Amino acid sequence: MNTLIVIDSLPYGDWRGREALDMAFSLAAFDRPVTLLFRSAGVNWLRPGQAADQLHQKSVERNLSAATVFGVSTLIADKAALRQYRLPSDQLPEAACETDLTPAFYQQFDSVVAL
Amino acid sequence: MLTLHIINKAPDHPRFSACLEALAENDALVLIENAVTALVFDKLPLPPCYALHPDVNARALSQSSMPGVKMIDYPGLVALTETHQRIVNW
Repeated sequence: MNTLIVIDSLPYGDWRGREALDMAFSLAAFDRPVTLLFRSAGVNWLRPGQAADQLHQKSVERNLSAATVFGVSTLIADKAALRQYRLPSDQLPEAACETDLTPAFYQQFDSVVAL
Repeated sequence: MLTLHIINKAPDHPRFSACLEALAENDALVLIENAVTALVFDKLPLPPCYALHPDVNARALSQSSMPGVKMIDYPGLVALTETHQRIVNW
């Protein structure tokens, strides 16, 4: 069963994104195919150079860098949201790619989870 | 009455536009927490305002400073609260 975990909230504002990430890592740890989608404001998770130590938090950029270690091989960013938040695709992490969010995109997955 | 507006909501949150609508001439606006992403939000008519630098840095937006946006630190925010008679937290 292929699962899509959606992160659509800004980093550091609340804990929904980190909880979604934990869910993705847990699925991957049990060898369940999982894909992370960053849509809407969630694309800001992918911005390079975050300095969250000033907020006494761990950078979500560092959390995400562990995704491939946990077996989450695919990070997908909503192309329209990247434009909305002025995040050029060449600044995305290596494991990330951009896509248009269409019904066909969501139909690839057996489960879609958005906290 | 000179008012300081402090907003922590993202620019696509309904309260963000409500805050902008409530700004009177000579009022001050401070972006904190999620609201600092307004610095990169496309086609947002952002008035002259302040942005909390630690929140800007945490979100890697320090390269995205806009004309009319002044970075402040925590003591700077405290100083603003002292010089305004009224504070609205959005």
